[in-house]
Amino acid sequence: MRHGLAFLDWVGRYLWSGWAGAAGLFCIAAAWQAGHELYGSFILPAPLETVREVAKLAQDEAFRYAARETAERAGLGFALSVLIGTVAGIAAGYSFAAMRLMRPVVTVILGVPPIAWIVLALIWFGASGGTAVMTVVVASLPISFAGGLEGVATRDRTLDAMARSFDAGPFMRLRTVTVPHMISYLFPAWTTTAGSAWKVTVMAELLSNAGGLGGDLASARALFDIPRVTAIVLVTVGFALLTEYALLQPIRNRLEQWREAGQPWGVKR
Amino acid sequence: MRLELDRIGHAFLGRAVFEDLTLSLGDGEIVALVGPSGCGKTTVLQIAAGLIDPLRGRVRRHYGGHAVVFQEPRLLPWLTARDNIAYGLAARGISKAERRAMAERRAAEVGLLARDLDKYPAELSGGMRQRTAVARALAVDPETVYFDEPFTAVDVGLRRVLQDLIIAACARDKFSALFVTHDLAEAVRLAHRIVVLSDRQEGIVAERILPGMPGERDDRSVFDTVQAWAKDPAFAALFDGDRQ
Repeated sequence: MRHGLAFLDWVGRYLWSGWAGAAGLFCIAAAWQAGHELYGSFILPAPLETVREVAKLAQDEAFRYAARETAERAGLGFALSVLIGTVAGIAAGYSFAAMRLMRPVVTVILGVPPIAWIVLALIWFGASGGTAVMTVVVASLPISFAGGLEGVATRDRTLDAMARSFDAGPFMRLRTVTVPHMISYLFPAWTTTAGSAWKVTVMAELLSNAGGLGGDLASARALFDIPRVTAIVLVTVGFALLTEYALLQPIRNRLEQWREAGQPWGVKR
Repeated sequence: MRLELDRIGHAFLGRAVFEDLTLSLGDGEIVALVGPSGCGKTTVLQIAAGLIDPLRGRVRRHYGGHAVVFQEPRLLPWLTARDNIAYGLAARGISKAERRAMAERRAAEVGLLARDLDKYPAELSGGMRQRTAVARALAVDPETVYFDEPFTAVDVGLRRVLQDLIIAACARDKFSALFVTHDLAEAVRLAHRIVVLSDRQEGIVAERILPGMPGERDDRSVFDTVQAWAKDPAFAALFDGDRQ
Protein backbone atom coordinates (compact mmCIF):
# COMPACT_ATOMS: atom_id res chain seq x y z
CA MET A 1 0.00 0.00 0.00
CA ARG A 2 2.73 2.44 1.06
CA HIS A 3 4.85 1.38 -1.91
CA GLY A 4 1.86 1.78 -4.24
CA LEU A 5 1.31 5.33 -3.05
CA ALA A 6 5.00 6.16 -3.41
CA PHE A 7 4.90 4.79 -6.95
CA LEU A 8 1.83 6.88 -7.83
CA ASP A 9 3.56 9.92 -6.33
CA TRP A 10 6.55 9.28 -8.58
CA VAL A 11 4.40 8.72 -11.70
CA GLY A 12 2.48 11.93 -11.02
CA ARG A 13 5.66 13.90 -10.54
CA TYR A 14 7.22 12.46 -13.70
CA LEU A 15 4.15 13.29 -15.82
CA TRP A 16 3.94 16.75 -14.30
CA SER A 17 7.56 17.44 -15.23
CA GLY A 18 6.43 16.86 -18.83
CA TRP A 19 4.97 20.39 -18.90
CA ALA A 20 8.44 21.91 -18.94
CA GLY A 21 9.42 19.65 -21.85
CA ALA A 22 6.18 20.48 -23.69
CA ALA A 23 6.94 24.19 -23.29
CA GLY A 24 10.28 23.64 -25.03
CA LEU A 25 8.63 21.75 -27.87
CA PHE A 26 6.04 24.50 -28.34
CA CYS A 27 8.87 27.04 -28.60
CA ILE A 28 10.20 25.04 -31.54
CA ALA A 29 6.68 24.94 -33.03
CA ALA A 30 6.45 28.75 -32.71
CA ALA A 31 9.75 29.24 -34.52
CA TRP A 32 8.57 26.78 -37.17
CA GLN A 33 5.35 28.76 -37.60
CA ALA A 34 7.36 31.97 -37.96
CA GLY A 35 9.48 30.33 -40.66
CA HIS A 36 6.36 29.19 -42.43
CA GLU A 37 4.87 32.69 -42.40
CA LEU A 38 8.12 34.06 -43.79
CA TYR A 39 8.66 31.58 -46.63
CA GLY A 40 5.22 30.16 -47.37
CA SER A 41 3.77 26.66 -47.57
CA PHE A 42 5.88 25.37 -50.42
CA ILE A 43 9.20 25.85 -48.63
CA LEU A 44 7.98 25.11 -45.10
CA PRO A 45 4.44 23.87 -44.42
CA ALA A 46 2.87 25.15 -41.18
CA PRO A 47 2.97 22.96 -38.05
CA LEU A 48 -0.81 22.61 -38.07
CA GLU A 49 -0.79 21.61 -41.73
CA THR A 50 1.87 19.00 -40.93
CA VAL A 51 -0.10 17.63 -38.00
CA ARG A 52 -3.16 17.30 -40.26
CA GLU A 53 -0.99 15.48 -42.80
CA VAL A 54 0.24 13.13 -40.04
CA ALA A 55 -3.39 12.44 -39.04
CA LYS A 56 -4.20 11.68 -42.68
CA LEU A 57 -1.15 9.41 -43.03
CA ALA A 58 -2.08 7.55 -39.85
CA GLN A 59 -5.24 6.38 -41.66
CA ASP A 60 -3.15 5.04 -44.53
CA GLU A 61 -2.48 1.30 -44.26
CA ALA A 62 0.71 1.43 -46.36
CA PHE A 63 2.17 4.25 -44.26
CA ARG A 64 1.39 2.42 -40.99
CA TYR A 65 3.21 -0.60 -42.38
CA ALA A 66 6.21 1.57 -43.37
CA ALA A 67 6.32 3.16 -39.91
CA ARG A 68 6.19 -0.24 -38.23
CA GLU A 69 8.99 -1.48 -40.48
CA THR A 70 11.19 1.47 -39.52
CA ALA A 71 10.33 1.04 -35.83
CA GLU A 72 11.31 -2.64 -35.97
CA ARG A 73 14.60 -1.89 -37.70
CA ALA A 74 15.50 0.98 -35.39
CA GLY A 75 14.48 -1.11 -32.34
CA LEU A 76 16.50 -4.11 -33.44
CA GLY A 77 19.50 -1.93 -34.29
CA PHE A 78 19.24 -0.17 -30.93
CA ALA A 79 18.91 -3.42 -28.99
CA LEU A 80 21.85 -5.06 -30.77
CA SER A 81 24.19 -2.10 -30.53
CA VAL A 82 23.35 -1.48 -26.87
CA LEU A 83 23.73 -5.15 -25.99
CA ILE A 84 26.97 -5.78 -27.87
CA GLY A 85 28.48 -2.38 -27.03
CA THR A 86 27.66 -2.52 -23.33
CA VAL A 87 28.81 -6.11 -22.81
CA ALA A 88 32.05 -5.48 -24.72
CA GLY A 89 32.54 -2.24 -22.78
CA ILE A 90 32.09 -4.00 -19.43
CA ALA A 91 34.53 -6.72 -20.46
CA ALA A 92 37.06 -4.12 -21.57
CA GLY A 93 36.58 -2.20 -18.32
CA TYR A 94 37.44 -5.25 -16.23
CA SER A 95 40.34 -6.43 -18.34
CA PHE A 96 43.21 -4.10 -19.05
CA ALA A 97 44.38 -6.26 -21.97
CA ALA A 98 40.91 -6.28 -23.56
CA MET A 99 40.73 -2.51 -23.17
CA ARG A 100 44.09 -2.02 -24.91
CA LEU A 101 42.93 -4.32 -27.72
CA MET A 102 39.44 -2.93 -28.21
CA ARG A 103 40.05 0.80 -27.93
CA PRO A 104 41.74 1.19 -31.34
CA VAL A 105 39.12 -1.11 -32.89
CA VAL A 106 36.44 1.25 -31.64
CA THR A 107 38.33 4.26 -32.96
CA VAL A 108 38.52 2.60 -36.36
CA ILE A 109 34.77 1.86 -36.33
CA LEU A 110 34.11 5.43 -35.24
CA GLY A 111 36.36 6.81 -37.94
CA VAL A 112 34.53 5.14 -40.84
CA PRO A 113 31.72 7.51 -41.90
CA PRO A 114 28.20 6.01 -41.54
CA ILE A 115 27.56 6.70 -45.21
CA ALA A 116 30.41 4.32 -46.10
CA TRP A 117 28.82 1.64 -43.93
CA ILE A 118 25.57 2.10 -45.81
CA VAL A 119 27.32 1.53 -49.13
CA LEU A 120 29.10 -1.56 -47.76
CA ALA A 121 25.91 -2.88 -46.17
CA LEU A 122 24.07 -2.35 -49.45
CA ILE A 123 26.55 -4.62 -51.15
CA TRP A 124 26.31 -7.22 -48.36
CA PHE A 125 22.60 -7.18 -47.59
CA GLY A 126 21.06 -5.62 -50.71
CA ALA A 127 18.04 -3.32 -50.46
CA SER A 128 16.64 -4.95 -47.34
CA GLY A 129 16.13 -4.08 -43.67
CA GLY A 130 19.51 -5.62 -42.87
CA THR A 131 21.27 -2.59 -44.31
CA ALA A 132 19.51 -0.23 -41.92
CA VAL A 133 19.98 -2.49 -38.91
CA MET A 134 23.66 -3.01 -39.58
CA THR A 135 24.29 0.69 -40.12
CA VAL A 136 22.59 1.52 -36.80
CA VAL A 137 24.59 -1.14 -34.95
CA VAL A 138 27.92 -0.10 -36.38
CA ALA A 139 27.29 3.63 -36.08
CA SER A 140 26.18 3.58 -32.45
CA LEU A 141 28.03 0.62 -30.98
CA PRO A 142 31.09 2.67 -29.95
CA ILE A 143 28.94 4.97 -27.79
CA SER A 144 27.63 2.12 -25.61
CA PHE A 145 31.09 0.59 -25.58
CA ALA A 146 32.62 3.78 -24.25
CA GLY A 147 29.84 4.11 -21.67
CA GLY A 148 30.31 0.57 -20.38
CA LEU A 149 34.10 0.92 -20.36
CA GLU A 150 34.12 4.22 -18.48
CA GLY A 151 31.47 2.99 -16.06
CA VAL A 152 33.47 -0.07 -15.06
CA ALA A 153 36.83 1.69 -15.11
CA THR A 154 35.63 4.44 -12.76
CA ARG A 155 33.86 2.12 -10.31
CA ASP A 156 34.61 2.77 -6.65
CA ARG A 157 37.21 0.18 -5.70
CA THR A 158 36.86 0.96 -2.00
CA LEU A 159 33.20 -0.13 -2.22
CA ASP A 160 34.33 -3.23 -4.08
CA ALA A 161 36.75 -4.02 -1.24
CA MET A 162 33.90 -3.50 1.23
CA ALA A 163 31.76 -5.99 -0.69
CA ARG A 164 34.63 -8.48 -0.75
CA SER A 165 35.05 -8.13 3.00
CA PHE A 166 31.51 -9.51 3.28
CA ASP A 167 32.40 -12.39 0.94
CA ALA A 168 30.13 -11.08 -1.82
CA GLY A 169 30.70 -13.06 -5.02
CA PRO A 170 31.69 -11.50 -8.35
CA PHE A 171 28.11 -11.46 -9.65
CA MET A 172 26.75 -9.80 -6.50
CA ARG A 173 29.56 -7.21 -6.63
CA LEU A 174 28.72 -6.48 -10.27
CA ARG A 175 25.02 -6.17 -9.45
CA THR A 176 25.25 -4.11 -6.26
CA VAL A 177 28.47 -2.10 -6.66
CA THR A 178 29.38 -1.72 -10.32
CA VAL A 179 26.06 -1.65 -12.20
CA PRO A 180 24.37 1.10 -10.13
CA HIS A 181 27.46 3.23 -10.66
CA MET A 182 27.53 2.44 -14.40
CA ILE A 183 23.93 3.56 -14.89
CA SER A 184 24.99 7.20 -14.93
CA TYR A 185 27.46 6.42 -17.73
CA LEU A 186 25.24 4.06 -19.69
CA PHE A 187 22.04 6.07 -19.87
CA PRO A 188 23.50 9.08 -21.70
CA ALA A 189 25.08 6.58 -24.11
CA TRP A 190 21.81 4.73 -24.54
CA THR A 191 19.71 7.87 -25.11
CA THR A 192 22.21 9.04 -27.74
CA THR A 193 22.03 5.60 -29.34
CA ALA A 194 18.22 5.64 -29.33
CA GLY A 195 18.13 9.07 -30.96
CA SER A 196 20.66 8.19 -33.62
CA ALA A 197 19.02 4.78 -34.25
CA TRP A 198 15.93 6.54 -35.67
CA LYS A 199 17.94 8.99 -37.71
CA VAL A 200 20.32 6.42 -39.14
CA THR A 201 17.51 3.97 -39.93
CA VAL A 202 15.60 6.53 -41.96
CA MET A 203 18.79 7.63 -43.71
CA ALA A 204 19.79 4.05 -44.56
CA GLU A 205 16.28 3.27 -45.80
CA LEU A 206 16.26 6.37 -47.98
CA LEU A 207 19.63 5.58 -49.52
CA SER A 208 19.08 1.84 -49.92
CA ASN A 209 15.49 2.19 -51.08
CA ALA A 210 14.48 -0.45 -48.56
CA GLY A 211 10.97 0.76 -47.77
CA GLY A 212 10.07 2.04 -44.31
CA LEU A 213 9.78 5.74 -43.51
CA GLY A 214 12.99 6.41 -45.41
CA GLY A 215 11.56 4.85 -48.56
CA ASP A 216 8.41 6.92 -48.08
CA LEU A 217 10.54 10.01 -47.67
CA ALA A 218 12.33 9.26 -50.95
CA SER A 219 9.07 8.99 -52.89
CA ALA A 220 7.61 12.11 -51.22
CA ARG A 221 10.72 14.00 -52.29
CA ALA A 222 10.40 12.72 -55.84
CA LEU A 223 6.76 13.90 -55.90
CA PHE A 224 7.62 17.26 -54.29
CA ASP A 225 4.99 16.48 -51.65
CA ILE A 226 6.46 18.87 -49.05
CA PRO A 227 3.74 18.45 -46.35
CA ARG A 228 4.29 14.70 -46.57
CA VAL A 229 8.07 15.19 -46.11
CA THR A 230 7.58 17.33 -42.97
CA ALA A 231 4.94 14.88 -41.73
CA ILE A 232 7.40 11.98 -42.03
CA VAL A 233 10.06 14.02 -40.25
CA LEU A 234 7.55 14.79 -37.50
CA VAL A 235 6.68 11.11 -37.13
CA THR A 236 10.37 10.17 -36.87
CA VAL A 237 11.01 12.86 -34.27
CA GLY A 238 7.88 11.72 -32.43
CA PHE A 239 9.23 8.18 -32.30
CA ALA A 240 12.57 9.43 -30.98
CA LEU A 241 10.85 11.54 -28.30
CA LEU A 242 8.70 8.59 -27.32
CA THR A 243 11.63 6.19 -26.87
CA GLU A 244 13.51 8.71 -24.81
CA TYR A 245 10.78 10.06 -22.55
CA ALA A 246 8.38 7.13 -22.37
CA LEU A 247 10.96 4.36 -22.20
CA LEU A 248 14.49 5.36 -21.20
CA GLN A 249 14.00 8.36 -18.93
CA PRO A 250 11.40 6.75 -16.64
CA ILE A 251 13.72 3.76 -16.10
CA ARG A 252 16.65 6.03 -15.35
CA ASN A 253 14.56 8.19 -13.06
CA ARG A 254 13.45 5.11 -11.12
CA LEU A 255 16.97 3.70 -10.84
CA GLU A 256 18.57 6.96 -9.79
CA GLN A 257 16.19 8.03 -7.05
CA TRP A 258 19.08 7.86 -4.60
CA ARG A 259 20.77 10.70 -6.48
CA GLU A 260 17.77 12.93 -5.96
CA ALA A 261 17.92 12.17 -2.25
CA GLY A 262 21.39 13.71 -2.09
CA GLN A 263 20.29 17.01 -3.57
CA PRO A 264 19.70 19.94 -1.22
CA TRP A 265 16.23 21.23 -0.51
CA GLY A 266 14.81 23.42 -3.22
CA VAL A 267 16.69 21.69 -6.02
CA LYS A 268 14.58 18.59 -5.56
CA ARG A 269 11.54 19.17 -7.72
CA MET B 1 43.01 -18.33 19.18
CA ARG B 2 40.80 -16.69 16.60
CA LEU B 3 43.52 -15.34 14.34
CA GLU B 4 47.21 -15.99 13.95
CA LEU B 5 49.52 -13.98 11.74
CA ASP B 6 52.75 -15.95 11.48
CA ARG B 7 55.89 -14.04 10.37
CA ILE B 8 54.06 -12.14 7.66
CA GLY B 9 55.77 -9.56 5.51
CA HIS B 10 54.52 -7.26 2.80
CA ALA B 11 55.90 -4.79 0.29
CA PHE B 12 54.41 -2.31 -2.13
CA LEU B 13 56.30 -1.99 -5.42
CA GLY B 14 59.38 -3.51 -3.86
CA ARG B 15 59.40 -1.22 -0.84
CA ALA B 16 59.02 -3.27 2.33
CA VAL B 17 56.23 -2.15 4.64
CA PHE B 18 56.95 -4.61 7.42
CA GLU B 19 58.77 -7.91 7.87
CA ASP B 20 58.38 -10.87 10.20
CA LEU B 21 55.27 -9.69 11.90
CA THR B 22 53.67 -12.16 14.28
CA LEU B 23 50.38 -11.36 15.93
CA SER B 24 47.55 -13.34 17.44
CA LEU B 25 44.03 -12.57 18.53
CA GLY B 26 42.38 -14.48 21.38
CA ASP B 27 38.70 -15.35 21.88
CA GLY B 28 36.69 -12.28 22.78
CA GLU B 29 39.82 -10.17 22.90
CA ILE B 30 40.16 -6.62 21.57
CA VAL B 31 43.68 -5.94 20.36
CA ALA B 32 44.55 -2.38 19.46
CA LEU B 33 47.18 -2.00 16.77
CA VAL B 34 48.81 1.41 17.07
CA GLY B 35 51.61 3.08 15.18
CA PRO B 36 52.49 6.31 13.41
CA SER B 37 50.76 6.99 10.13
CA GLY B 38 52.24 5.20 7.14
CA CYS B 39 53.69 2.34 9.19
CA GLY B 40 51.46 -0.29 7.61
CA LYS B 41 48.69 -0.72 10.19
CA THR B 42 45.97 -0.78 7.57
CA THR B 43 47.98 -3.25 5.48
CA VAL B 44 48.21 -5.62 8.46
CA LEU B 45 44.44 -5.33 8.90
CA GLN B 46 43.75 -5.94 5.21
CA ILE B 47 45.96 -9.01 5.26
CA ALA B 48 44.23 -10.31 8.39
CA ALA B 49 40.81 -9.71 6.80
CA GLY B 50 41.89 -11.43 3.57
CA LEU B 51 41.49 -8.32 1.42
CA ILE B 52 45.10 -8.59 0.27
CA ASP B 53 47.50 -11.54 0.33
CA PRO B 54 50.75 -11.19 2.26
CA LEU B 55 53.99 -11.55 0.32
CA ARG B 56 55.45 -13.79 3.00
CA GLY B 57 54.18 -15.68 6.02
CA ARG B 58 50.93 -17.41 6.90
CA VAL B 59 47.54 -16.26 8.09
CA ARG B 60 45.46 -18.73 10.09
CA ARG B 61 41.85 -17.92 10.81
CA HIS B 62 39.88 -20.02 13.28
CA TYR B 63 36.46 -18.45 13.00
CA GLY B 64 33.25 -18.66 11.05
CA GLY B 65 32.82 -15.16 9.73
CA HIS B 66 34.33 -11.72 9.98
CA ALA B 67 33.38 -8.15 9.18
CA VAL B 68 35.36 -4.99 8.53
CA VAL B 69 34.56 -1.43 9.60
CA PHE B 70 36.57 0.88 7.38
CA GLN B 71 37.95 4.34 8.03
CA GLU B 72 35.29 5.81 5.75
CA PRO B 73 31.75 4.42 6.13
CA ARG B 74 31.84 2.91 2.60
CA LEU B 75 28.06 2.71 2.35
CA LEU B 76 26.53 2.03 -1.04
CA PRO B 77 24.97 5.40 -1.98
CA TRP B 78 22.17 3.73 -3.97
CA LEU B 79 20.89 1.66 -1.05
CA THR B 80 18.91 2.91 1.93
CA ALA B 81 20.47 2.70 5.39
CA ARG B 82 18.39 -0.44 6.02
CA ASP B 83 19.64 -2.20 2.88
CA ASN B 84 23.19 -1.10 3.62
CA ILE B 85 23.03 -2.65 7.09
CA ALA B 86 21.62 -5.82 5.54
CA TYR B 87 24.28 -5.96 2.81
CA GLY B 88 26.40 -8.64 4.46
CA LEU B 89 23.27 -10.69 5.12
CA ALA B 90 22.24 -10.39 1.47
CA ALA B 91 25.70 -11.65 0.47
CA ARG B 92 24.99 -14.68 2.63
CA GLY B 93 21.69 -15.32 0.88
CA ILE B 94 19.42 -14.64 3.85
CA SER B 95 15.76 -13.98 3.01
CA LYS B 96 14.48 -10.44 2.69
CA ALA B 97 12.11 -10.52 5.66
CA GLU B 98 14.82 -11.93 7.92
CA ARG B 99 17.27 -9.32 6.65
CA ARG B 100 14.87 -6.53 7.49
CA ALA B 101 14.31 -7.78 11.02
CA MET B 102 18.00 -8.25 11.73
CA ALA B 103 18.91 -4.87 10.22
CA GLU B 104 16.32 -3.14 12.37
CA ARG B 105 17.57 -4.83 15.54
CA ARG B 106 21.20 -3.90 14.82
CA ALA B 107 20.22 -0.36 13.86
CA ALA B 108 18.53 0.09 17.22
CA GLU B 109 21.64 -1.23 18.97
CA VAL B 110 23.88 1.39 17.39
CA GLY B 111 21.38 4.18 18.09
CA LEU B 112 19.85 4.68 14.65
CA LEU B 113 16.20 5.72 14.63
CA ALA B 114 13.65 3.66 12.71
CA ARG B 115 12.73 6.66 10.55
CA ASP B 116 16.35 7.04 9.41
CA LEU B 117 16.43 3.54 7.97
CA ASP B 118 14.60 4.51 4.78
CA LYS B 119 17.03 7.32 4.07
CA TYR B 120 19.90 7.15 1.62
CA PRO B 121 23.46 7.70 2.92
CA ALA B 122 23.51 11.18 1.36
CA GLU B 123 20.68 12.17 3.72
CA LEU B 124 22.49 10.95 6.85
CA SER B 125 25.01 12.89 8.94
CA GLY B 126 28.61 11.70 9.11
CA GLY B 127 28.09 10.16 12.53
CA MET B 128 24.95 8.36 11.43
CA ARG B 129 26.78 6.97 8.41
CA GLN B 130 29.52 5.53 10.60
CA ARG B 131 26.88 4.07 12.94
CA THR B 132 25.30 2.45 9.90
CA ALA B 133 28.68 1.00 8.91
CA VAL B 134 29.13 -0.43 12.43
CA ALA B 135 25.62 -1.90 12.33
CA ARG B 136 26.37 -3.45 8.92
CA ALA B 137 29.45 -5.16 10.36
CA LEU B 138 27.64 -6.42 13.45
CA ALA B 139 24.61 -7.59 11.46
CA VAL B 140 26.42 -10.66 10.11
CA ASP B 141 27.09 -11.89 13.69
CA PRO B 142 30.84 -11.91 13.07
CA GLU B 143 33.20 -13.85 15.30
CA THR B 144 35.96 -11.40 14.48
CA VAL B 145 35.62 -7.73 13.59
CA TYR B 146 38.33 -5.62 12.01
CA PHE B 147 38.21 -1.91 12.72
CA ASP B 148 40.37 0.31 10.53
CA GLU B 149 40.58 3.70 12.31
CA PRO B 150 36.79 3.88 12.15
CA PHE B 151 36.26 6.98 14.27
CA THR B 152 38.94 9.39 13.06
CA ALA B 153 36.43 11.56 11.21
CA VAL B 154 33.83 11.92 13.99
CA ASP B 155 33.85 14.49 16.76
CA VAL B 156 35.18 13.75 20.24
CA GLY B 157 31.82 13.32 21.93
CA LEU B 158 30.44 10.97 19.31
CA ARG B 159 33.70 9.06 19.23
CA ARG B 160 33.24 8.17 22.91
CA VAL B 161 29.69 7.04 22.25
CA LEU B 162 30.79 4.83 19.37
CA GLN B 163 33.70 3.41 21.39
CA ASP B 164 31.33 2.52 24.23
CA LEU B 165 29.03 0.93 21.69
CA ILE B 166 31.80 -1.34 20.46
CA ILE B 167 32.90 -2.24 24.00
CA ALA B 168 29.31 -3.17 24.86
CA ALA B 169 28.79 -5.10 21.60
CA CYS B 170 32.02 -7.06 22.15
CA ALA B 171 31.03 -7.96 25.71
CA ARG B 172 27.56 -9.03 24.54
CA ASP B 173 28.31 -10.82 21.27
CA LYS B 174 31.72 -12.16 22.36
CA PHE B 175 33.51 -11.27 19.15
CA SER B 176 37.24 -10.70 18.89
CA ALA B 177 38.42 -7.47 17.38
CA LEU B 178 41.54 -6.05 15.81
CA PHE B 179 41.27 -2.29 16.24
CA VAL B 180 43.68 -0.19 14.21
CA THR B 181 44.12 3.35 15.48
CA HIS B 182 46.75 6.06 15.77
CA ASP B 183 45.07 7.48 18.86
CA LEU B 184 46.71 5.97 21.93
CA ALA B 185 43.95 7.20 24.27
CA GLU B 186 41.36 5.43 22.14
CA ALA B 187 43.44 2.24 22.22
CA VAL B 188 43.86 2.42 26.01
CA ARG B 189 40.15 3.00 26.43
CA LEU B 190 38.78 0.04 24.53
CA ALA B 191 41.44 -2.67 24.19
CA HIS B 192 42.53 -5.63 26.27
CA ARG B 193 45.97 -5.53 24.73
CA ILE B 194 47.95 -2.99 22.72
CA VAL B 195 50.60 -3.76 20.14
CA VAL B 196 52.80 -1.08 18.60
CA LEU B 197 53.89 -1.38 14.98
CA SER B 198 57.26 0.04 14.07
CA ASP B 199 57.57 2.62 11.33
CA ARG B 200 60.98 1.21 10.36
CA GLN B 201 59.91 -2.22 9.09
CA GLU B 202 60.82 -3.82 12.42
CA GLY B 203 57.42 -5.42 12.95
CA ILE B 204 55.94 -5.16 16.42
CA VAL B 205 58.15 -3.14 18.73
CA ALA B 206 56.10 -3.19 21.93
CA GLU B 207 53.20 -5.02 23.47
CA ARG B 208 51.26 -4.04 26.61
CA ILE B 209 48.44 -5.86 28.36
CA LEU B 210 46.13 -3.32 29.91
CA PRO B 211 44.88 -3.86 33.45
CA GLY B 212 41.15 -4.17 34.02
CA MET B 213 38.44 -4.58 31.42
CA PRO B 214 37.60 -2.21 28.51
CA GLY B 215 34.88 0.17 29.53
CA GLU B 216 35.82 -0.01 33.22
CA ARG B 217 38.80 2.30 32.96
CA ASP B 218 37.99 5.87 33.94
CA ASP B 219 39.28 8.92 32.08
CA ARG B 220 41.87 9.64 34.75
CA SER B 221 43.57 6.26 34.40
CA VAL B 222 43.42 6.42 30.60
CA PHE B 223 45.09 9.84 30.69
CA ASP B 224 47.75 8.71 33.18
CA THR B 225 48.57 5.62 31.12
CA VAL B 226 48.98 7.65 27.93
CA GLN B 227 51.13 10.22 29.77
CA ALA B 228 53.36 7.51 31.22
CA TRP B 229 53.80 5.89 27.82
CA ALA B 230 54.74 9.18 26.21
CA LYS B 231 58.12 8.86 27.94
CA ASP B 232 58.53 5.22 26.86
CA PRO B 233 60.92 4.83 23.90
CA ALA B 234 58.71 2.09 22.41
CA PHE B 235 55.95 4.63 21.92
CA ALA B 236 58.21 7.51 20.94
CA ALA B 237 57.34 7.37 17.24
CA LEU B 238 53.67 7.91 18.06
CA PHE B 239 54.41 11.22 19.75
CA ASP B 240 57.26 12.48 17.61
CA GLY B 241 56.02 14.08 14.41
CA ASP B 242 59.55 14.90 13.14
CA ARG B 243 60.37 11.29 12.44
CA GLN B 244 58.04 11.10 9.46
